[in-house]
Amino acid sequence: MASPEYVVLAVEAEKGGEHRETVATLEDALDTVRHLAVEIVEGGRKPLRFEIACTTPGVKVRSRGTPRYRFFVNARGEGAGGDGSELDPWAAPDTAAEQLAAHHRKGVLELREGQRIRLVHHDTFGATSLERRKKAAEGLARVVFSFVVAAMIIPVLAIIGYLFYRAWPVLSWSFIFRNPEAYMTAGGIWAPLVGTFYLAIISLLIDAPIGILAAIYLNEYAPDNWFTRTINLAVLNLAGVPSIVHGLFGFGAFVLFARMGKSVLAASCTLAVMSLPVIVTSAREALASVPMSFREACWNMGATRWQTIRTIVLPNSMSGILTGVIFEICRTAGETAPILFTGAVFYYSGLAESGVDWLLPYGLFDTCMALQYHLFALTTQVRGVSEEIQFGTAAVLIALTLCINSVSISLRVYLRSRKKW
Amino acid sequence: MDTHVVFDNLTVAYGDQVALQDLSLEIPRNQIFGVIGPSNSGKTTFLKCINRTIEFIPSARVSGTVAIDGLDVLSMKNVYALRRRIGMVFPLPVGLPLSIYDNVAYAPRRAGVGDRGELDTLVERCLKQAMLWDEVKDRMHMLGTKLSGGQQQRLTLARALSHRPEILCLDEFSIAIDPVTTMKIEDVLLELKEYITIVLVTNLVQQARRIADRTAFFNNAHLVEVGETETIFASPANEMTHAYVNGDFG
Repeated sequence: MASPEYVVLAVEAEKGGEHRETVATLEDALDTVRHLAVEIVEGGRKPLRFEIACTTPGVKVRSRGTPRYRFFVNARGEGAGGDGSELDPWAAPDTAAEQLAAHHRKGVLELREGQRIRLVHHDTFGATSLERRKKAAEGLARVVFSFVVAAMIIPVLAIIGYLFYRAWPVLSWSFIFRNPEAYMTAGGIWAPLVGTFYLAIISLLIDAPIGILAAIYLNEYAPDNWFTRTINLAVLNLAGVPSIVHGLFGFGAFVLFARMGKSVLAASCTLAVMSLPVIVTSAREALASVPMSFREACWNMGATRWQTIRTIVLPNSMSGILTGVIFEICRTAGETAPILFTGAVFYYSGLAESGVDWLLPYGLFDTCMALQYHLFALTTQVRGVSEEIQFGTAAVLIALTLCINSVSISLRVYLRSRKKW
Repeated sequence: MDTHVVFDNLTVAYGDQVALQDLSLEIPRNQIFGVIGPSNSGKTTFLKCINRTIEFIPSARVSGTVAIDGLDVLSMKNVYALRRRIGMVFPLPVGLPLSIYDNVAYAPRRAGVGDRGELDTLVERCLKQAMLWDEVKDRMHMLGTKLSGGQQQRLTLARALSHRPEILCLDEFSIAIDPVTTMKIEDVLLELKEYITIVLVTNLVQQARRIADRTAFFNNAHLVEVGETETIFASPANEMTHAYVNGDFG
């Protein structure tokens, strides 16, 4: 059996800097490490790792797996242990090699075939393997999360982009400001657009005051008992009711029972009922975000509950309440099912092309056209409508929603920048 | 001795946990009444019963009576009028999200003081009493919430004084305040007691010794001992009191 040989491998920090030598004894191998270390450092480069592998001649050196000995040079007391290097880390690889050679001469350090010694050089503030793992996990998390965000944003951008691309030929001021003509196959979308505004604003006028006052009661006054809990449960459940059910409820309650007939008012009331639970919930959250300690400080001074609400709670939660309300307008503007039976019509016969009747086509008890319903009619109910008009209508509806949302977001950003604690 | 506040058989429990058991105690008028005791001994609960803020804790059950000038606090109809007679400072500083000036003027305004000149005088006086005036006089319109912790605590103290209370309850008021300022505020308290009854709950045993006329020692939801401060500290009747004031436990 041939005597074993020792393969010395020195790796530099820069890519490609690798030296390999084969010697006969471990002492020579350690000496080679020392020479190589001095050579690398004197060449102005940085050593990274030295390995001595003990092999049978002709057998390929395995470089994977845990070495028999691992030493850290210039580590922060992180030697492998047992050799004293954890207590007194070596300053440089050449001194390390010298001292290892001394160990070897004493007979402490021996290598059998297939075993390796590894000397790892750390900068004082260099990353340990644990830190490198953490960094890798960090990077992976970043990639995954940004991918998820992209997966969210890309469809939105694609939809909007495609809509506007297809709608581009018809988009013009006259498309917005003119009424539908020739059985909706020509003209613009003014009447439906105004109808949507009517519905959104009147429903807002109905549900914002009620919703905000209810939220104030629930958050500031209501004691925690079965009654309050029942109301909370009801509010949450109401928010989960499908909008078509709200539509049917509105038809029964407002159109028939309250004798409003199929009208702007009945449709607005239905939309208000639908968005009320959402407004209550968001307003409550805004109120609850004002720290309890502020209220207690006021009460301790003898301020009544209402004085406290008026002077401290409301001024500091208004931003949140408004944001919630505006987001809700947005949703209202896009809902079709609740207005289907309660106020929206395919075509409103009393449209004028100019004057006050053009600007405000509907009275409270008239039926109205609405953009979201108009879109439905154009795409499924009327023959011969060009696709440009359909896409144009959808684009305006989306643009409307985006506008309202951006108002809401900028309002929130502005008010948050003035947050007082 | 003219008594101001009388506690009679007061028992407070949070759910199953008794926080105060059969407390009977008299607080004399125009004195500083110190309350000492380890944590969880019922000191804060005791204060919360005076201005009925105990009601904000839904699980709290209160029995017995607390009387201010012979009027039963716990059955009083107008709790806001009661709280306006009492100034309260709790250990955690709370700056309201208003300007420093509005913080101090808050209670007087709610009570109907609208005159600017009167408010100015009042705010200045309260801030001076709380030893905050010199630090904030040039920036009265800065937000109270932007002050440092110790400054906010003194702002809280100024607020508690702003509605001219006849009883001032201080719960660990000096916890966030530096020792030098604390000493200055203690001097102010000694002046204030000419016309205010002060209840001083403190973990600093020596603070009670320095300024309290009478001191009560609470332990484990019970009143262990009450008496002249000198007696409590020099020759307490109860061994536990002796051990506590000498720092042997707690």
